This record gives sequence, C-alpha cells and structure tokens, in this order.
Amino acid sequence: MNGVDLPVFHPCSPETASIAHLFLHVLIVCSFILLIVIGMVGYGLIVFRYRPGAADPPPHFGDRRLELIWTIGPILIILWFFALTVRGMRLSDPAANRLPDLVVIGHQWWWEVRYPQTGVVTANEIHIPVGRQWLVRLESADVIHDFWIPALARKIQMIPGVTNQVWLEADAPATYAGECAEYCGAQHSWMRFSVIAESPAAFDRWLREQEKPAAMPAADSIEDGLKIYQTLTCINCHSIRGVSVAANAAPDLTHLASRGILGGGVLANTETNLFRWLKNPQAFKPGCLMPNLKLTDPQLGALTSYFETLQ
Amino acid sequence: MTEIAATLIASETPQAASMSRGLYGWVATVDHKRIGILYLLTTLVFFIMGGVEALLMRIQLARPNNTFLSPDAFDQMFTMHGTTMIFLVVMPTLIGLANYLVPLMIGARDMAFPRLNALSFWLLPCGGLLLHFSLLAGGAPAVGWFSYAPLSESSYATTSGVDYWTLSLLVLGVGSVAASINLIATILTLRAPGLTIRRLPLFVWMMLINSFLIILALPALNAAIVMLFIDRHLGTHFFAPAHGGSAVLWQHFFWTFGHPEVYIMALPAFGIISEVVPVFARRPIFGYEFVAASTVAIALLSFGVWAHHMFAVGLGHPMDLFFAATSMMIAVPTGIKVFAWSATMWGGAIRLTTAMLFAVAFLIQFTIGGLSGITFAVVPIDWQVTGTYYLVAHFHYVLFGGTFFAVFAGIYYWFPKITGRMLSERLGKINFWTALIGFNTAFFVQHFLGLMGMARRVYTYPDLPGWGLLNLISTVGAFLLGASVLILLWNIFASLRHGEPAGDNPWNAWTLEWATTSPPPAQNFDRVPPIRSRRPLWDLAHPENPDPIVGGIAARDGFVLEKNRVGIVSFLITESVFFLMLILAYLFYNSHAMNGPTPTSMLNPQRTGIYTLCLLASSFTIWLAERKLRAGKSSAFRWLLALTILLGTIFIFGQGREYLRIFHEGVQVNSNLFATTFFTLTGFHGLHVCIGIIALLILMALAFAGDFKQGRIEAVKSIGLYWHFVDAVWLVVFSVIYLKLLL
Amino acid sequence: MTTEQFFISAWNWNLWVIAICVATILIYGARNHFRLSRNFGWLLAGIIIFFLTLASPIDALADGYLFSAHMLQHLLLLLIIPPLILLSLTPAPVPQNFQTGRWNWLNWILRHPVANWFLGVGGMWLWHAPMLCNAAVSNAWIHRLQYISLLAMGGAFWWPIISPWRTQRIAPLAGMIYLFSACLGCTVLGIVITFSPVEVCSIYLHPVDRLGILPLIQNQWGLTPAKDQQLGGLLMWVPACLIYFCGIFALFARWHGETGDKAVVTKSQLAKSHGH
Repeated sequence: MNGVDLPVFHPCSPETASIAHLFLHVLIVCSFILLIVIGMVGYGLIVFRYRPGAADPPPHFGDRRLELIWTIGPILIILWFFALTVRGMRLSDPAANRLPDLVVIGHQWWWEVRYPQTGVVTANEIHIPVGRQWLVRLESADVIHDFWIPALARKIQMIPGVTNQVWLEADAPATYAGECAEYCGAQHSWMRFSVIAESPAAFDRWLREQEKPAAMPAADSIEDGLKIYQTLTCINCHSIRGVSVAANAAPDLTHLASRGILGGGVLANTETNLFRWLKNPQAFKPGCLMPNLKLTDPQLGALTSYFETLQ
Repeated sequence: MTEIAATLIASETPQAASMSRGLYGWVATVDHKRIGILYLLTTLVFFIMGGVEALLMRIQLARPNNTFLSPDAFDQMFTMHGTTMIFLVVMPTLIGLANYLVPLMIGARDMAFPRLNALSFWLLPCGGLLLHFSLLAGGAPAVGWFSYAPLSESSYATTSGVDYWTLSLLVLGVGSVAASINLIATILTLRAPGLTIRRLPLFVWMMLINSFLIILALPALNAAIVMLFIDRHLGTHFFAPAHGGSAVLWQHFFWTFGHPEVYIMALPAFGIISEVVPVFARRPIFGYEFVAASTVAIALLSFGVWAHHMFAVGLGHPMDLFFAATSMMIAVPTGIKVFAWSATMWGGAIRLTTAMLFAVAFLIQFTIGGLSGITFAVVPIDWQVTGTYYLVAHFHYVLFGGTFFAVFAGIYYWFPKITGRMLSERLGKINFWTALIGFNTAFFVQHFLGLMGMARRVYTYPDLPGWGLLNLISTVGAFLLGASVLILLWNIFASLRHGEPAGDNPWNAWTLEWATTSPPPAQNFDRVPPIRSRRPLWDLAHPENPDPIVGGIAARDGFVLEKNRVGIVSFLITESVFFLMLILAYLFYNSHAMNGPTPTSMLNPQRTGIYTLCLLASSFTIWLAERKLRAGKSSAFRWLLALTILLGTIFIFGQGREYLRIFHEGVQVNSNLFATTFFTLTGFHGLHVCIGIIALLILMALAFAGDFKQGRIEAVKSIGLYWHFVDAVWLVVFSVIYLKLLL
Repeated sequence: MTTEQFFISAWNWNLWVIAICVATILIYGARNHFRLSRNFGWLLAGIIIFFLTLASPIDALADGYLFSAHMLQHLLLLLIIPPLILLSLTPAPVPQNFQTGRWNWLNWILRHPVANWFLGVGGMWLWHAPMLCNAAVSNAWIHRLQYISLLAMGGAFWWPIISPWRTQRIAPLAGMIYLFSACLGCTVLGIVITFSPVEVCSIYLHPVDRLGILPLIQNQWGLTPAKDQQLGGLLMWVPACLIYFCGIFALFARWHGETGDKAVVTKSQLAKSHGH
C-alpha cells in the first residue's frame, strides 16, 4: 500500500530508534517461538492423526528431561530479554538532569504548549529545532492524558497532580503526528497535535515571531472581529497576548493563523474551515467544551478576518 | 486388576425425587446442573449483547470520519462492551461451566452450599440488569471498563452511569466470590473416596486455584470502587488530585485486581483444554505435575505483575524493571502448559472433532496473544504500543482467540453430557472455520493499526493511508465472527431437537463425569467407579494396563476438612484483602502532612482503647461460649453469647459516640483525606461488627428457643471465627490509626 | 572513585566473620568425617553468601550509605543463609534429650509452625521500625544483635519446611500456605516501604561519606535517597516473594513425589513394563 507508515518502525529520533531496534529483535525471537509451537502442533496433527481401526496408543505420562528443556529454555530467553530491557530503558528514557525546555499541559481535548525560557504560549502545535535533545515537562489540567509522538518519543501519561518528563528530539526536519493515547473523554479521538522539527535557524525565526504579541487590527473590518472576541465571551476562555491573557481554559489564539490544524486535528487550518468551525464547533467535534455561540454570518466573517491576521 | 465393588455414595434425596418441572422448577432450583445451565443461558444473552455492541463499534470504525455513532454513544459502547464481556460473559460462563462439571468430575452429589450456589447465579442477572438500567437513567457509563480516575469522578462523568457500573460490579463481585467459596469448599471436602487432590482432573485443579485467585483479587476491586463511589457521592477526594487525592492510586488498586482478573479468565480455559486435548489425542496429559505446578506459579505471580499496565505512568525505572521481571517470569509457566498440550498430541491418534479443532486453534492463537504480551513486558516496547490497537489485538487474541475458543471447545465436548445429544459435526466444522477466519481477520490487522499509530478507544480516525482499509478489513472479520456465533446457536437449537443421542461416554473419555448418564440423574451418580489414578474410566476399560496408581493404594490427602470451616475461612480471606486495601489507602494518604483534622487533634486513643478492650473481651467470651456448647452446658452457652453481644454493642456504642463527637467539632467525611480514610476504614469495620452482632442475635434467639442441636455447633464455630476476625482487624486498625503505627 | 575501584577496594576483612566461617566449616567437616557431599555444597553456599553479606562491598554500602543495600543484607540473613544451612544438615530423628528437660521450650517453639511464622515475619517487620532501623546502623552492638537475631529468626522460620528432624516438618500443603502467607506479609511491608514518602530509616537520608563514594552512588548510579528507598522496598517485596515461591515449588515437588508409585514414567520404564 502506498504511503502507509508504521511510525513505530519508522523512528526519527535516537530514542525511538533504540526502541524500534529492540522491538524488531524481540519480534524475531517471538516469531521463532511461534514457529516452534506451530511446528509442534502441525507435526502432531499430521503425523499422529487417527487412522481408522487404530487402537488407543499406549499411555505416556511425561518426560522430565523435556520439561526441563522447555522450562530452562524460556528462562534463558527472558533473562536475555530482561537484559535488553534494562539497556533499552537507559537508551530510550535517560534521567532528566536540567530544567525543561518545553512544558506541555494536557486539557480536555487540546494541548497547551509553553516555552518557559521565552514565555511563548501556543496550542496543538510544537516546534523544535532539529538534532537537539529537549526535555519536556508534562502536566494535566484535568484528567489523565497520554503524550505520544510515535516517530519521536516514548509514550508518557500526563496525570493531574503529577509532573512527568520526556525527551524530545528529531533527526530530520519534518512534521510529525502526535496524539493523546489515554482515553480522556468524549473527544479523545480529536486530541491530536503536530510536532514540526525545523533547522535551528528556522526554529529561531518561528520562536521570535511567536514571542511578539498579537497584531493590532489595521482596518475597521478587522477591528469588528476584535470587538466580537472581547464582548461575546470568547475572551473568557481564550487568551490573545496583547489583548488579554487572563484566560487559560482554551487554546491561546495569539498566533492562531500560523498553525496548521484546528480543533485538535479535526480540521486543517484554512480560512474556510475556521469560519465553519466558529459557526458551529459542535458539528465537527461534538462534546468539545466550546459551545455553539450561534453567531451570525457577518459576525463570523468579521471574527474570521480578525483571526486570520493573527499570524 | 479386577473391578472392585464400587462405592455407593449418594442416595436419592427428597429434593431429587420431587425436582420440579416447568419454569418454577428452574427458578427455584438449587441443583448445580440446572444452575450451571442457567449461568450458560444468561451469559449467552449477554454475549450476544456484548457482541452487538462490538459490531456497532466496528461499523462506526469501518470508515474514517464516520458518523454512524456519536462520540458519546461510541464511548458508552466500548465501556459496556468491555464490562459486559468481562463481568457478564467470560467470568460467569467459566463459573457456570465449573458449576455444572466440578461436582460431576469429583463424584459428588452437588456443590457444598447449594443455596449459596443459587444466590450466586441470581446475582448475575441482577447485576447485569443494574448495569444496563443505566441506559434508561441518563446514559451508560462512558469511562472505559477500567474507569480511570479522575475521569470517573463526578466532575467529569456527570451522568449516573458510573454509579450503576459501580453498584453492578459490587453485586456481580459478591456472586463471583460466593461461587468461588462454594467451589473451594466443594473441591476440598466433597471428593469421592479415592479421589485425592493429586488425582484431580486438571479442570478441577485449575478451578480450585482460580477460585483462590477470585477471592483474593475481587476485594481489591471492591475497595477501589467503594472509594470511587464515596468520592462521587460524599464529596471526598480519594482520587481527585485537585484536592490532594491520587489518580495513580486508582490505577494501582484497579490493576491489583485487574491483572489477576485476566488470569481468572484464562485458567479455566486452560482447564478445558487440558481435558479436551488428551481425550481427542487419546493420550493422558503430558506432564500432569508440571501443568499443575505451573498453574500455581501463574496464580502466585499474577499478583506481582500489575504495574505492567502502568509502564507509561512514569513510576520510575526501578519499579518498571521489577514489574518487567515478574511479567516476563509469568510467561514461563504459561509456556510450559503450551508445550505440554502440544506434546500430548505427539504419539497420539488425533481425532479432529470440532472440539479438538477449537482446542488446536486455541493453542496457536493463545500463543500469539501470549507472545505479543511478552513484547509488552519489554518496557520500552510497551512505551510505544500500550494504549494502541496493538494492545486491543493482544487482549482479544488471549481472551477471544484464547479463552473463548476454549469455551467453544468445551461446549462441543460437554454438550452431549449436558443435554444427552451430540452437536452436529457438520455445522460444527462450519462454525469453526467461520470463527477462525473471522476472528483472525478481525484482530490480526489490528496489530498493524497499532503500529501505525492508531490509539484505542477512538470513535473515529483521520484518513491516513491504510487506516481506512485495515479498519474495514477488521470490521468484515468481526461480522464473519458474529456469523459464526449465529451458526453455533443454530447448531445448539437444531441439535437439541434432532441431535444424535449421545450415550454415557460418546468420546470414550476418562474422567468421572462420563461415568454416568447423559444428562446425569438428579443425584449425579448411582455408583462411582473405583478411583486409583487420574483416569478412572481408563482403568475400568483397560484392566490389563491401568494407569500407575497416584500416591499409593491407600492414599489419603493427609488432612480432613469440614466444609463450613473451609467456607468461612475462604470468606475471611476475602474480607482480609478488602481491609488490607483500605488500610493501605489509609497509610498512603496519611503519610503526608495535611491541613485540617489529624489523628492527634481528633482522636482519643485512651477512650477508644477501653472500647477496644471490650471488643477483645467479647472474643474471649464467644470462645468460652463455644467450649460450653461443646461440653453440653447450654445455659452457660446462652449467657456467654448474650455477654458477647453486649460487649460488641458497647464497642459500637463507643464508636458511635466517637463519631458524634467528631461531627460536633465540625469534621465531616470530606473535611480532608485523614477524615475520609478514617471514616471509611472505621466505618467498614463498624459495619462488619454490626453484621456480626446481628448474626449473634440470630444465634442467641435460636439458642433461647432451645433449637440448638449438636449440628448447630458448626454455625457457632463459623460465626465465632468471623467474630475473632473482626476483632483482629480492629487490632490492626486501632494500631494504625490510633497508635499511629507505621506512620 | 569508579564503580570497579569501589568493588575491588571496599572489602571488610572482619576477623569475627572470617573466624565464624572457618569454624563452621571445620565443625561441620569434623562431624561428617570430612566427606564431600551434596549437603556440604549447601553449607558452602551458605557460608559464602554469609561472607559476602558481611564482608563484601554490600556491607560497606549498607553501613550508612544505601538503605537498599541494608535490605539486601536482611534478605540474605533471614531468607537465604538459614535455609542453606538447614539444608546442609543430615536428616536425623529428634534427639531424645531435646524433647524433655531443659530444651523443652525450644522444642515447643520449633514444633509449632505458627510460632515460627511469627518469628520469621515478625523479625522482618521488627527491624524496619524506624527507631530500631536507625539504631542498628548507628550502634555497632545493636547491629550485631540484628545480624544474630535475623539468622536465628530465619532459622526458626524455615524450620517447619526444611528441618533435618523430619517429624517436625509440616505437611507439604500446609507448608505451601505457610510460605504463601509469609509472602503476603513481606508484600505488605514491601509495598509500604516502596510507596511511603516518609523515610523508613532516616539515617540514610544524610549519609556520612567516610569512603568518599557519595558522588558515585548518587550521580553515577542515580540512587538518590528517594530511589534508594523505593529500591529497598522493591527488594523486600519481589525477590523475597520469589524466594518463598521457590520454597512453595519445592514443597509442591515434594508433595507430588511422595510415597507410592511415581506418576511420571520414563520411556525406558514403560518399555520394560511392556516387555520390549
């Protein structure tokens, strides 16, 4: 099949590469064992099938030597697997030894992304420089979530009241898919995110753009959109740096238009999709915590135009 | 060896002679055979319901971005599917099968406690109805079958679905534990003469070990769900991290139950296979002792592996490694079994009946599931594949491809015994092949979906290359599997009417259930054959070449157990685990300093110490009372009994005063986690004391009415043991809470 | 100091320990006419482990540095060395003078599995009481008392299972329950220690760095006091239970191999019986 990707076996970081390597190794051994069992059973079925007229064969109750072989054998295999596990854990999850470079907080059903050194806040999209090993701190604002980017890092839960950490690194510039891997409620399916690894220069450019506060509206039509944001309850949940940073219950919108996805992955971030989302988020992500505000089309038009300026 | 005169072990009881016909007879039955059939019929209904839930989910998942089911409906569906299949189908099917077969296989007349047996059964439809009532009461639970906190707390799971889930599990849990106590008492005390434990059929041995697993594991679930229920309704914060609770503790408690639970679902299946394969290979099981010992190994180790469900929690490498080690270890005894079954076939004369076909498929499929399980034990691999469809594939391979195929094998094997008619082999083969193809099509592709990044419990997925196609294939397989179940049902109904009459022993098998008619008479056996080895019927049919005698001609087990004693001790074991979990919760929450009431500020150890002495004294008085009863001094017995009740009541009165004083000071159950754990632990203990007092009052009423014959002494001993247990628990609780031991 | 350097240099050639080892071997040899037998193998294993427990770097680590090393010592002293020593004793009937007279009280204890169980499990719990744990590390005499008591209580615990006086052994099935319940006892203890945020043995929170290996332990091995306590709890729990499990399986094998015909027939025996 074209384009089919098994990210678990298509690792793009040293940590996931060591896991993939280990996995392949273990799978080969397990396949061997399966073949032995299939062989034993298959051989038995064919060679020892009932032939009409045959009497019951003489009873045979066991063989201590065979028992020892198939007890000691598996023990040796698991000792080997255990050694591999110890090594693999050290390789794919080394101990944390410094302050985090990135903080990700799981919410029902979106990802809050913070860059502690610069104060940048965004949502559902993580940018990292290629080739650097970053330490990510993981928290949860409500229920248990699970941070998983199959190509780049091990899975780790985000548990309210607990702080976890994971290493994040990408070998090559690309966009990697991430998702929540622990059922967290109605829209667990659409709690997806992207990790965009780029060259250090490109990353710095992105970061500097993100540090800037929101662009002020240049035209009146855009200003209408800002007014709607301020007066029609959006501001109670969503922050826009430069306008209001009081709220934290929903994604930060300061640079909304620079992101690739909307609604935790349910829609691609285009102007049309933004309009449709704002018209009725419940139509795309039923059960999500953003209500249908029943805005009129002109209002939606203004709001969309304003948001499109938030590059 | 000539046939020795068989033992007449049972005579026609009055109940047997008048076993009622018609619906009333079935509803009021205490006969284990009828109860077994009732279990199987009920689980069949739930199996169809759970299967329909699965098929509805598969329709929704067949295409990306599908809208057949809303997210909320889908979430309820997978929660109900999991809960139904585990608690309303697999566990009761295996218990029902055991109910029918175990007394027959040990040459007994019925289970040790027939009325308890009936109660165990009726709790099944009760619990099932409770669970499904949620659909009418605001919605089924939608938190997944393991209900992780805080998603299951009332702030997130706002309907009462979780409450119905909790209550139904408590009800079903009582039923399972009661059935297990019954099985333990039956197997340990009602075996026919000559049937020593070492000569037990492996199905019975596995049910014995499995019953211990149930009585030890289910209380952990009960403790967890009780705590969740209290959180949801009394505003406490056991599992609410926002107020000092711990979401991780839910996981620990749940999986302490949850892992043994999967072995509870596997061991009886192993037992079925251990009966079916030898009969159709025409050879005794290879290495009986090793299969028996490996069962014990699995049971022991199953309590030490639970945190392998939590490798993604971030418990730390030392913990992860220890659990990885034990999880890998548990593969060894399972492997021993798989090799034993395979080796049994070698040198045999294998007849590929439908039962044998299902058993062979079990061998391969369970091995696949077991091997994918090993990949989870290698922690870094788990870090990639847990929570994905790879995991869904794994557990369906072991639970459906494993346990359920074994159940199908068991159905084809024992249907003749239960009904007196053979199932059609022709339909059976069609059943088998559709099941095999359907099952593997449905679930093998899911391994790949997981590796492609598809998480579990998603109601839809993005249109990525290959995801739609593999999901569609899986859906098609699921429907084929559903069709195979329909074929099985058709086979059953058709064979009930027109099946070939079976005779006593259509398969020429060797265990005791085949030594009687099909179906067996009410009293099970007219005569039990002599038992010197593990295959009494082989010995009977082959007097020139009997099996070696197991354990010597005059072998006895070296112990004699009394069934009431076994029953009450098993019950106390299960209660101990429940209290242990509550005590561990207390220790866990109170090892941090916290605001609000503390033991020092709130409690008075000296005063409670005096009440404690009263309770201890009551233990002494009931012990004395037992001795008086045995010595025939019934007056002394009655008064000592009364004194025991008085002392117990003083204790409860003291507890009540303590509670009132604490409430007066403004402390409530949700004031802080100390108050919560204090009230929970002492409250449940107090509840147990009250129940004990009620039991003692009943005893006393009987004693004063002069209704005490010698036989009643067993009841007194049992209740006495319960009372001592309650006192012993109080000693621990008092030390931990009031004397702050361990803190 | 590196790991290798530490493991080479940190041996404690304590005269008492060496003397006890040598004396034990000599006495044993004398009583058995210096014959090399399988039982002697058990004794040797026990003595070697005893030596390692008290003289090897494990002892250096346990002496104020690592709680988990201290737990390892407990484990070896209570659960491994005593059964090895017991296994090395040749089976014999109970001596007459033991059943009457001055040693009657000891005989009573040894004959009652419940007493032995409490000694074994109780001993494990006792030395984890924070006060006693700290005292043992800081005071040399209490430390010695701890070693001796652990050995004695371990011997008492394993007595009903592998006593050389066969009549004092309990039945295999009862033995399995005996061991399983002890396993539960150590599980609860292990769980409490592993998950307790409160330090069980607070003296290990601030080790006095006599040997200069603190950086090695905390940085290179990554064993902070929190991880160390977790590891100690896990040791008390998992390996301890595995030792009990081994005992359970040995009993299972003993039970199945008991008097009467063997149920496992080898091929040659079968061939013989069929006259081939």
